[in-house]
Amino acid sequence: MSKALRGLIGILTAGLAIFAALSFVPDGIDLGFARLKTGSFAETMFAAQKVPKPVAQPVGKGTDEQPGKAVQPSKPKKAAMDTTAKVILFIGDSMLEGLGPRLAAYANENGHTLINVIWYSSTTEVWGGCTRLKERIAEFHPDYIFVCLGANELFVSDIKRKRQRYLDNMLAQIGDIPYVWIGPPNWKPDTGINDMLQESCAQGSFYLSNGQHFDRAKDGAHPTHASAAAWCDRVCKWVMTQSAHPIKLNRPKVAKARCRTIVYQPQR
Amino acid sequence: MDYSLTNLWHNLTAQLAYDPSQPLLFSSGLFWVLFLLFIPLYAWVKPRRTQMLLFVTAFSLFFFYKSSGWYLLFMVFTATLDWLLAQRIAQSGDDRRRRWLMTLSVVCSAGLLVGFKYTNFVLWNIDAIIGRNFQPLDIVLPVGISFYTFRTISYVVDVYKRKLQPTDSLLEYLFFISFFPCLIAGPIVRATELLPQIRQNKPATRAMVYGGLWLVLMGVLKKAVAADYIAQYVNIAFGNPAGYSGVELLMAILGYTMQIYLDFSGYSDMAIGLASIMGFRLPKNFDFPYLSLNVTEFWRRWHMSLSFWLRDYVYISLGGNRRGKRRQYLNLMATMLIGGLWHGAAWKFIFWGAGHGGALCLHKWLMPRLKALPDTGWVRFVSWLLTFLVVSLLWVFFRADTFGTACDVIWGTVSRFDMAYLPVFAQVRNTWCIVMVLAFALHFLPQAIWNDLRRRFIRSPWWVKLLAFVIVVQLVLEFAAADVQPFIYAQF
Repeated sequence: MSKALRGLIGILTAGLAIFAALSFVPDGIDLGFARLKTGSFAETMFAAQKVPKPVAQPVGKGTDEQPGKAVQPSKPKKAAMDTTAKVILFIGDSMLEGLGPRLAAYANENGHTLINVIWYSSTTEVWGGCTRLKERIAEFHPDYIFVCLGANELFVSDIKRKRQRYLDNMLAQIGDIPYVWIGPPNWKPDTGINDMLQESCAQGSFYLSNGQHFDRAKDGAHPTHASAAAWCDRVCKWVMTQSAHPIKLNRPKVAKARCRTIVYQPQR
Repeated sequence: MDYSLTNLWHNLTAQLAYDPSQPLLFSSGLFWVLFLLFIPLYAWVKPRRTQMLLFVTAFSLFFFYKSSGWYLLFMVFTATLDWLLAQRIAQSGDDRRRRWLMTLSVVCSAGLLVGFKYTNFVLWNIDAIIGRNFQPLDIVLPVGISFYTFRTISYVVDVYKRKLQPTDSLLEYLFFISFFPCLIAGPIVRATELLPQIRQNKPATRAMVYGGLWLVLMGVLKKAVAADYIAQYVNIAFGNPAGYSGVELLMAILGYTMQIYLDFSGYSDMAIGLASIMGFRLPKNFDFPYLSLNVTEFWRRWHMSLSFWLRDYVYISLGGNRRGKRRQYLNLMATMLIGGLWHGAAWKFIFWGAGHGGALCLHKWLMPRLKALPDTGWVRFVSWLLTFLVVSLLWVFFRADTFGTACDVIWGTVSRFDMAYLPVFAQVRNTWCIVMVLAFALHFLPQAIWNDLRRRFIRSPWWVKLLAFVIVVQLVLEFAAADVQPFIYAQF
């Protein structure tokens, strides 16, 4: 073997050994001024064998006139509806601008109190990388939480590796409080956000919006006000009839209402 | 995490199993682990030619199997058939028989390519014409079929034209067809270039080994760092052009122009570098194409192995420029349409090919007048700008999902253009802008500087090379984890 090839083998061996060793620190290495990312060698080689989970499929396209038909992989046991008044915390990205006012109308109609927290351009990484959700929970003591996040993560590659821990952190912050996660209204096929949410959320707590029909605003992504209201109607009907924690959400007489709303600007 | 041997074994076998969604890319960690195991064994068998051929062919076939499964039998079948037909062509003195055998070989090879790649496209078009509803056939396209089909066609045609003496060894031919560095995405190396090197079986020199490593590292930087990162924003903007301003769409167009170059040339660099480490010299595939001053020059610098293949086996075969101007233009258009269709089974690729064909014809037509222009800096700048504009605009059709989306991107760029967005864009997407500016700046760096850097790298001590390797891999990790946000503003 030539000296050059021996040298190359040495370089490759040393280089790959360094990265293989560092990959056993999955959260990266803190250098004080920066955090070095580490590879996925250890995770790829030692991850537990996956038990395939059924994946949710929309059985039909919900339309603005028709109720939603998003289904869970297997239907949870139908829980009895909780008819008591709730304090509902609704957090998420800009999609709340459309969903929030309609959900506020539902809250008024059914005696609930709703607090909307809109964090523009937010993602699971943004929410899961801080304790803001926990702080709002401590502040408002909600007994029901709605989350609408994922539209800003439709195209994130290798999403499970990048976002799973943030999602898990968000769900840990929610804790035992009943919740419904409203999936993003895809305008293009996603790279796995819906599957990740489906797998991580408790059964009957994830509402798949992908595959439904939406009339879009000029930006081509957000549903129009009318379409977002219809989307909210489908979600509420699903919460009442199919979710793991049904609460009273009868259709309101008014199209929209106001409620306390907190707005956070995009994180730079 | 459970560090058990059971998990390790299960995951290891899963990694090595056939998985069409996980081709063995040169930028993947798995490839480098396998290559590290491959190289010492390769160096050991290299002096014994037959063993070397067997070993490399087996590795190449595994490489193909990993992403295409048992479709590798099709490749072996095509290769065996073409090898046999080429033998018969060489042995035959009858011109008609030779021609018939060559045609049979080309039809078989091209037929498989058409069958795999274009069946659904043809059915879809028939469906659109006659209005019948059909389900697309479940056809898995074997990885690299477009590339190895062109290699095998060039071999048989060269034997037919008596430019090449066919190889007597099927193993040698299989090695040539399946050679893993250029199996997935080229370069479309020809038998006249590779077979003599296989026969000589020269060991790799120090310059080839470390020059190869340099090329591989540059390729990884281009593909896995820059191109993949730039692609994130491009994908978002092309996914929803209605949601973006003119400036943002212009950035997406420029982004894709750079992305496709970095992606493709990066992969070619890796292929050429890996072959160089193994002691084989593959032809250059990209030569700073965005420096071109006209479209003809662009095609001499862009995907050179394909454009020269199309020139030699399509354009010249159709008559080239030997049958008058009109026929030359027709030949050019036909060649570029075939080139467009080769890139993918969709009308957008045909349109892209037609656009380039039209631009080439226009350039040929204007050539006498253009030659009369003075060779000043301004003339050169305008020529460069026009060429760059045409190439970038045509990339929009290449990239967009549909013809309508391409029109939306172009129309949105023009109709919603407002320079006021530019500083905001640069501020919010600063990393993306830095990567783009760096990519363009490095593209325009004189080639002498690149050659000098390469020489310095080859001569550098081992720890410099190790450091370069570590930095490049770390950059891959950092940029792979960095995401580009779809919305920088949120106006409902």
